[in-house]
Amino acid sequence: MTRCATWRPKRKLNLLRSIIRFSPRLSSPVQSQDSAALIRRANIVTPPWLLHPVSLSSIINRETKEDPVAFSPPPPPPSRAIPFRTRHRPALGREQRGCKPRPAVPALLHRRRAGRISTITLARGSRGAARRDDMPAPAGEVRSLMRDLVEVRAAKLRSSTSAFEGFGDGLMSLTGVGAMELAESRGFVLGVVDGVGKIGASAEATRREGEEAGGRRDDDEESDEDMGI
Amino acid sequence: MSYYDIDSILTDAEKIPCTFQLDIPDLGYLDNNPGQALKSGTKIALPLWLAEMLAIANLGDDIDQDKSFVSFELPAAVGNDVVQALKADPRAVPLRDQSPHFYGLATHMMDLSEEQELGSVLRKTFVTRAAEIALHARKVGGTTGSKGGPAEEASNLGVGGAGEEFLRGLDEWERKLFRKAHDGSKAGKEWMDSVKKR
Repeated sequence: MTRCATWRPKRKLNLLRSIIRFSPRLSSPVQSQDSAALIRRANIVTPPWLLHPVSLSSIINRETKEDPVAFSPPPPPPSRAIPFRTRHRPALGREQRGCKPRPAVPALLHRRRAGRISTITLARGSRGAARRDDMPAPAGEVRSLMRDLVEVRAAKLRSSTSAFEGFGDGLMSLTGVGAMELAESRGFVLGVVDGVGKIGASAEATRREGEEAGGRRDDDEESDEDMGI
Repeated sequence: MSYYDIDSILTDAEKIPCTFQLDIPDLGYLDNNPGQALKSGTKIALPLWLAEMLAIANLGDDIDQDKSFVSFELPAAVGNDVVQALKADPRAVPLRDQSPHFYGLATHMMDLSEEQELGSVLRKTFVTRAAEIALHARKVGGTTGSKGGPAEEASNLGVGGAGEEFLRGLDEWERKLFRKAHDGSKAGKEWMDSVKKR
């Protein structure tokens, strides 16, 4: 799936113009919005809100206090995520004319798209936290917040198995769960389902036997009644 | 389940207490009484596979049609004491001390006996302990450690820290679950590290 990312070319990339239809002439270090899937030879810039303690804390707050059950909403679908495909956005015209994107105001960066996270962005964020020197906050603080966020989400995913205690409660909304998080927990969750299934199989067999025996007895009684005995 | 499944074979070899229902000549050596007949009413622990066959088969006699060779009781591992302890707090019971194949034995006994309560207790125990196992599996190997270094390079089966006591009490099913959960978080961490290096 294509996701939108801000990226910075490592060198002059004229060849890419044939792939990226709407991009202006690319010369380092212009920033542009394009599909992350196309760009292998460029540095992907970590979204600033992902490295800002304020937005990170607000996501953690939402995940733990406001809605302790659901996950944060995922990024919008690709058709809305890639700006040059939506016709009514004024930014399209600017990009087509070869203008540079609007300058980003550092103080407001953390508000952009804050809260819509995926594991890809988490990975990107941790990479950014490992490399960048010009971070808006101490790297240790950002890293610990990010680790908190990862742990909170992993705990939520783990807690989904506690629903297996009762019958018929195994439903959980996975909206907003990243593919990586899912892959991490897949083995464990399948193991729990398998174990509960094995335990339940013999209980189920006993119950069914009991029901069949009970049903047969009822039939007998009914037929007895029919015959007027 | 495979015919060669080693866990299944070992579960079948677990011994359960049986009472013989009739005298059997020349089997006295089973009860430390060589040369004599094995008396009816003698209690001997037999492996599960043998006890199952002897308990299900009847004598084929016209008079004693409902009588089988042996009658069996629930083994101590899934006895009343253990079930009560599991009801109180599933996490506090070291299942491995009861039996290394606790769940295998318990499900087998559920098939053989008509214990209604055991199923729900087992289910609750397994699910509650699974959550704890997943937590430990994530912690082991220093996933939450911040600085990196040799402390993070733990082996796949390595245990350590506060949960050591709990992890030692896991039975085989739970150990497999632990391994799966740990492999998942380990693979995730490795991928994350490879992204950082690229």
